[in-house]
Amino acid sequence: MESSRRSAIGFSTGAIAYSEFSRGLELLRDQNIKVVEISALRMGEWAPLIQALDDLDLSAFDYVSIHLPSAMNAAEEKVVVQSLEPIQDRKFPLILHPDAIHDFAVWRAYGGLVCVENMDMRKLIGRTEPELAAIFRELPDARLCFDIGHAAQVDPTMTEAYFILKRHRERVTQIHVSEVNSRSKHDSLSYATMQSFRDVAHMLPAGLPIILETPVAPERMPEEMDKARYALGMSAASGLMAYS
Amino acid sequence: MQPIRRVEAAPVRHVINFGDNRDSAMPQQLSILEPSSELDRLRETLGIAVPNIDTARAAAATFRQQLEGDLLGLTSEDASIVLFGSLAREEFTSGSDVDWTLLVDGIANPKHLEVALKTESFLERIGARGPGREGIFGNLAFSHEIIHQIGGEDDTNSNTTKRILLLLESRPLGRRDAFDRVLNQVLRRYIGEDARFLQASAQFHVPRFLLNDFARYWRTMAVDFAYKRRARAGEGFAIRNIKLRMSRKLIFVSGLLSCFSGHVLLSDPELSALICTPDAPSEFVRHLRRVFAQTPLEIVASVINRYEHLRPVGVQLFSAYDAFLGVLRDDKRRAHLENLKPEAENGDDIYQELRRASHSFRDAVQTLFFDEGSGLNQLTRTYGIF
Repeated sequence: MESSRRSAIGFSTGAIAYSEFSRGLELLRDQNIKVVEISALRMGEWAPLIQALDDLDLSAFDYVSIHLPSAMNAAEEKVVVQSLEPIQDRKFPLILHPDAIHDFAVWRAYGGLVCVENMDMRKLIGRTEPELAAIFRELPDARLCFDIGHAAQVDPTMTEAYFILKRHRERVTQIHVSEVNSRSKHDSLSYATMQSFRDVAHMLPAGLPIILETPVAPERMPEEMDKARYALGMSAASGLMAYS
Repeated sequence: MQPIRRVEAAPVRHVINFGDNRDSAMPQQLSILEPSSELDRLRETLGIAVPNIDTARAAAATFRQQLEGDLLGLTSEDASIVLFGSLAREEFTSGSDVDWTLLVDGIANPKHLEVALKTESFLERIGARGPGREGIFGNLAFSHEIIHQIGGEDDTNSNTTKRILLLLESRPLGRRDAFDRVLNQVLRRYIGEDARFLQASAQFHVPRFLLNDFARYWRTMAVDFAYKRRARAGEGFAIRNIKLRMSRKLIFVSGLLSCFSGHVLLSDPELSALICTPDAPSEFVRHLRRVFAQTPLEIVASVINRYEHLRPVGVQLFSAYDAFLGVLRDDKRRAHLENLKPEAENGDDIYQELRRASHSFRDAVQTLFFDEGSGLNQLTRTYGIF
């Protein structure tokens, strides 16, 4: 199952520096990690991020995406969409939770920059292949941020993950990796979860950016990246003797 | 032909989501697409009336709709209320028990018992007949036992019953997340651990592990019938005997047909395409989920509908089953049967009428499973006997 392809791995700023994207970027630069998702999961984080975006030094990164607020009311959605206009030329993939959408038309205008994320089991839409298909009917040019942890939580047999990838694989732009526990919180990857991920690793398109959402201390980031490589079939268990 | 009583489709429910996304543009829960009814098709192809089956289906749908509205709030992503028995099989009559369980697949929570008790008291309040005295239903069931204990000493009679009936005759109420996860996991075990049958080189693509468990359950029901006759000194013997011959046998019949479904419900190109996919076990699990989304009668109907030469068998089988449901629907005749003493059976008209219907049903089932045109005879010889 191991693949020689080398997808770049990085972190969500929210995972390593809760609510502090600048600190998150700094931690990643310190470890020479070139892939990042700048997270503004809470609405209160959005305005500071947009205001700071022009001044952020992103030159160290090969891939940058932006995670939009995960919960918005209709008025907030308008604010977010308006604030995206000045930055759309920068072509950041925009990670969007489908249940945060109130007006599909405004997102349609962003075409392939919009990356709809498959949801965890708390949500009642966007969890499964047919539920995602219903969203892509509304947003035909949108891409997919495949959250393998969410897919595993919704169906630990990975059957649903397989069908999501079978049908929507061409849309996948980035991959979210984490353990999603029974409280739907992100956690460090466990052995059982890594084994589950490996069941569908062969279905993942090669070379896509991988974003870890596991909340780990800076000194544990390399280990977590190793676990992700193993879980996604990019490495054997070397360096992970405990799992071999 | 009897007019069909149409049941209004359940409205799509807008379940309140968490966070600020309550007026999100997508419906919060997409309606589950029910497969089109094979029984409706069958009635048209065979040109027969099955009024008792139709009435029982409509009664089940109406009752389930009532429960759906009232019990929705008790379910969650971790806990589904699952219906079993005649209500799930859509063979519901006024004398039917309401078999249910609160299926938990998530964090242990003492409050789950309160949910189960609330469900029970609600059902009592609306006058539903409680589950049977065995205690298998009407309480909590946990995913871990159902998924992990397949075979071995810890696979108790109760655990086997829950697991097999989850596959063959169950319907979730309200949020179905836990139900879907458990079904997927159970099927994944049967299929993933036996995946050799999905190799292109296999002569037949029949999941033997699953089939053996269905066969084991059928034989267990038959042996338990003898046990209950002894333990209950003949009380309720007649109705249990007729149910064993009809509805219990039907469950096994539908289970066997599901296992044979790669050959009798899919075309050769469909089956080949399934086997040649990157993950044939996942494809087969999904295929079986579609089959099991139907009631046992629908599964049998789907096979009859597929083969024109099986129509006479279909007429015999469904007419016999309709006669059986006709007696169960009649409160007076059902009560008579429930109270009939074993020594009075030989001279009892109702019992003898049903016995004849059960023989007709048995003969039709045998003709079906030894039918050459559909290939079922080969499958039955290969998998159904040794």
